[in-house]
Amino acid sequence: MKLLALLAWIPLFPLFGFLVLALLGTRFSKKLVSWVGIGSVAISAALVALIGFEYLSGSLQPYHLVLGSWMEVDNLLVPFGFYLDALTLTMLFVVTGVGFLIHLYSAGFMHSDPGYARFFAYMNLFVSAMLVLVLADNLVLLYLGWEGVGLCSYLLIGFWYKDPNNGYAARKAFIMTRIGDTAMALGLFLLFTQLHSFDIQTLMLRANSQWTSGSALPLVAAALLLGGAVGKSAQLPLQTWLPDAMAGPTPVSALIHAATMVTAGVYLIARTHDLFMLAPTVQFVVALIGTLTLLLAGCSALAQTDIKRILAYSTISQIGYMFLALGVGAWSAAIFHLMTHAFFKALLFLSAGVVIVRFHHEHNIFKMGGFRKTMPMAFWGFVIGSAALTALPFTSGFYSKDLILAAAYESSPMLWFAGCLGALLTGIYSFRLVFVVFFGPQIHTIDTASSWPMNIPLVLLSVLALFGGLLRIPLDSVFPVLPDAQPDTSFDPVAVITLAMPMLGVLIAALFYLTGTFSVQRYVSHGWGNCVRQLFFNGWYVDALYNSLVVRPFKALCTLNKNDVVDSLYLGTAGISRYLYHLIRRSQSGRVRWYASSMALGTVVIIAIGLLS
Amino acid sequence: MNISQIQALAPIITLSGVIIIVLLSIAIKRNFVFSCTITAGGILMTLVALVCAWQNAPMQTTLLIRIDHYALSFMALLLLAGLAVLGFCYDYFKTRKGQNEELLVLLLTALLGASVLIASTHFASFLMGLEILSISLFVLIAYPSNQRHPLEAAIKYLILSGVSSAFLLLGMAFIYAQCGELGFTGIGHFIASQSAMNIMILSGIIFIMAGVGFKLSLVPFHLWTADVYQGAPAPITAFIATVSKGAVFVLLLRFFISADSFIYSQLVNIFSIVAVLTILIGNLLALLQTHVKRLLAYSAIGHIGYLLVAFIAMGSIAPALAVESASFYLVAYFITTIGAFGVISVLSTPQSEADELSVYRGLFWRQPVLAAVFTLMLLSLAGIPLTVGFIGKFYIFTSGAAGRLWGLLAAVIVGSGLGLYYYLRVIVMMTRNAEKSAVESKIYNGTWISTATLSVLSILLLWFGIYPDFLVNTIQSVSYTLP
Repeated sequence: MKLLALLAWIPLFPLFGFLVLALLGTRFSKKLVSWVGIGSVAISAALVALIGFEYLSGSLQPYHLVLGSWMEVDNLLVPFGFYLDALTLTMLFVVTGVGFLIHLYSAGFMHSDPGYARFFAYMNLFVSAMLVLVLADNLVLLYLGWEGVGLCSYLLIGFWYKDPNNGYAARKAFIMTRIGDTAMALGLFLLFTQLHSFDIQTLMLRANSQWTSGSALPLVAAALLLGGAVGKSAQLPLQTWLPDAMAGPTPVSALIHAATMVTAGVYLIARTHDLFMLAPTVQFVVALIGTLTLLLAGCSALAQTDIKRILAYSTISQIGYMFLALGVGAWSAAIFHLMTHAFFKALLFLSAGVVIVRFHHEHNIFKMGGFRKTMPMAFWGFVIGSAALTALPFTSGFYSKDLILAAAYESSPMLWFAGCLGALLTGIYSFRLVFVVFFGPQIHTIDTASSWPMNIPLVLLSVLALFGGLLRIPLDSVFPVLPDAQPDTSFDPVAVITLAMPMLGVLIAALFYLTGTFSVQRYVSHGWGNCVRQLFFNGWYVDALYNSLVVRPFKALCTLNKNDVVDSLYLGTAGISRYLYHLIRRSQSGRVRWYASSMALGTVVIIAIGLLS
Repeated sequence: MNISQIQALAPIITLSGVIIIVLLSIAIKRNFVFSCTITAGGILMTLVALVCAWQNAPMQTTLLIRIDHYALSFMALLLLAGLAVLGFCYDYFKTRKGQNEELLVLLLTALLGASVLIASTHFASFLMGLEILSISLFVLIAYPSNQRHPLEAAIKYLILSGVSSAFLLLGMAFIYAQCGELGFTGIGHFIASQSAMNIMILSGIIFIMAGVGFKLSLVPFHLWTADVYQGAPAPITAFIATVSKGAVFVLLLRFFISADSFIYSQLVNIFSIVAVLTILIGNLLALLQTHVKRLLAYSAIGHIGYLLVAFIAMGSIAPALAVESASFYLVAYFITTIGAFGVISVLSTPQSEADELSVYRGLFWRQPVLAAVFTLMLLSLAGIPLTVGFIGKFYIFTSGAAGRLWGLLAAVIVGSGLGLYYYLRVIVMMTRNAEKSAVESKIYNGTWISTATLSVLSILLLWFGIYPDFLVNTIQSVSYTLP
């Protein structure tokens, strides 16, 4: 049990890295910055590997480590406590492992950026916050990590702050997730006032013993937590920030989408699954949100032209799958998909980063083409990543998505069908991207060989994206086992359709974009086709909807009250004071005769008051 | 007069002796540094004498003077303030032409007057102390006699002080006419023995209040304050603001307690009205003031107004707490006021007094430490937490609330709000970018003496602001010895 006691150091190393870089980063050479920035995460990753090995070879009993007290007021007890079980361990692997690879890649990607040290400082803080989030044994500490992640996402999305648009995107991400965070905070308060604890395990035990399934309290509590999860994981109806979050540097997108941030919501629901099981209605809503999100985001991805926005919508869609899994009670499948998704989405983003760097920071895929030859590394990264994303057989995504769809079928064939439709969409938009960017006539690019820090992560992530499906972490020790664990592999129409859908998607993409048998232009150039394209392209106009429903009325109200009514009180006070100053100032004439007579007059008045009162 | 009485009077006797010694040394040879050293040594010796007198207190040494722990501890405060002012005077006057040595004698006589004042229990010693103090101040104010402003200020102070003394004497005469007593306790017995209100006594007390109110610059006797503060040399202004006002306030406290004057509800009413006016008008006058010495003058008016709240609370239900609050506030006021004028003093050159707000523009970038000290003093005056001023104001609120003086507390709140505005205005001005011409000029017209004094004041300000226990305990142990 020696190594397990080092658990607390896992988030501390990146935190130290952040502190060192934030305080001294500008004085360091680039080399030293890289060593500190990447090294801190590397040490954490190594520590996770060691601890994970020890833990998995043990009895799989949860390990609880309390460092000290954070807050202690009356019956409110919030310790700096860490909790390790298979779920935490999976998250730790993903966060530190993928996080480390992204850091390594960043050393190449951000090499010539003037904010090099600042970038690594933020990235380290990001990883540290996410590690606190997954390690926390109580909801308050989790919330600290949760908000830390939100802060870092703001800092990193707006990293190139000189362009005001990036600032807007950063603020949008912060504010949209803040809506969810507020709901979550309310949920925390509710849980504490009802169950008198913040410790997650205690909470779950008490919820199970004190609340009956389907009663109002767990319903409200779960719904509030879901609000937080929806915001962080960019699900309907708070998904609009994620596509705009592409304003940040590409490694940041990779970190947000793969290792941290958006998976936090999934983790939260998985961590508090007992609560959600007590609220079946909410759990069904989770599934519904996931399904709707995966379909709508999939459609949106079809119409995008920005390489990173396509990936962003695909992330929303894939997180939708995870929510679907959570909703139908396939907890371990959700976490499994979270892990495989981290591998292939990181791979896709990092490959996209290579393309973007080599192509003058141009994002429009229709200006690209034929990069197959010039950038084999990115090409194979994209092919493997897209295959896994599409869940082609024997890639990592296949195993996880198959589990989810099987579980969905058990729950409701409608959900399963929607999931399959989503898989079809995934196939189309993923390979549309591959075919458009890497095939076709070759377009000239800058001939700079990408450096080894950028290539190594691509290779490793390719391997993980291909074979990551074989990694099995015994999540069943955390979650209740589903009655039907594995679908049988014998002939079964459901399994066949599940298997065939992605391939059909790839085929359609090939027909449209590779062979040119069909042309999209024909369908979308006129009438309703164009309408649908616009609808998809603009993300179902959710942004416009919010704009007219919330933003504009709010702005109108603000303009109405531009000269704040409440302000007039203070302005009035200031005005009166100023007026009185000028009035009284005249008494300071500097004339002794006036001073003396005022003394005499004052005395007379005072005596009069004294005698008459 | 026996030996223990002489022992009790030792501080006053020592101080008088020191005055003669300094006078003689000047007569033999003029040397500013040497005279300053003797003066400082004399003040320190007086402090030692205070310790000797401590064990004999409380004692009515003569008919005129009562030495008790309260008087002794305030004497110590006055002497320390005098020492600090002496430090600033040294740096301020050492480079100036003229014969500056007599300044020190006057400083000592003023201290002597103030010491007599706070120990007096009789109209005779009251008047004597007050006049020794006042006459020393006239000359101190006019000390740079070749300049226009100090002279103007001194003449104004002289004339108006004369008027106020006339009021004072008239009041004393009224009271004596009625009860045939000049001692405070005797008057107190007479008042207590009267069943109905005595108009003559009431008028007498009001006249005395007018006289004292002038020294304390209470509204409507406040008009001189800004002119005199502006005209006097910065260290002397600090002296007027602290030693003179502090001594008079302590006397007022003693008189009202000994003579039991709070029996008259009219007096409480009058003081309440005066306090509210003092707080509001003082702070309002400072509001848009751009002359730093005038600004501090007006703010000082407001601060004495706050002190009056504790004073009035003494007349209602919480006398012990009120005396404690007033004493604490006085100490806080001493520390910050001397510090603030000290900064002005070290920024002043023989050519120009650092009194316009524009002088302070960009001070943070030119002399960050000095600006930080000034900021600290201003924050303490504004009553921001972690400074001694905050604890003082908190005390005022506590005693006001204990005495249920809600109207007065409302005035304190309004006054503090106004105060925050103009103190912050100065601080903001110090952070502004300086104009090109002023950037390079680094004025620090002080030696290590000023530096040390300012450091000690800053440390005390923070120490008493963060750990007020020591000061609170000290004040508690002496304030209950008041009769």
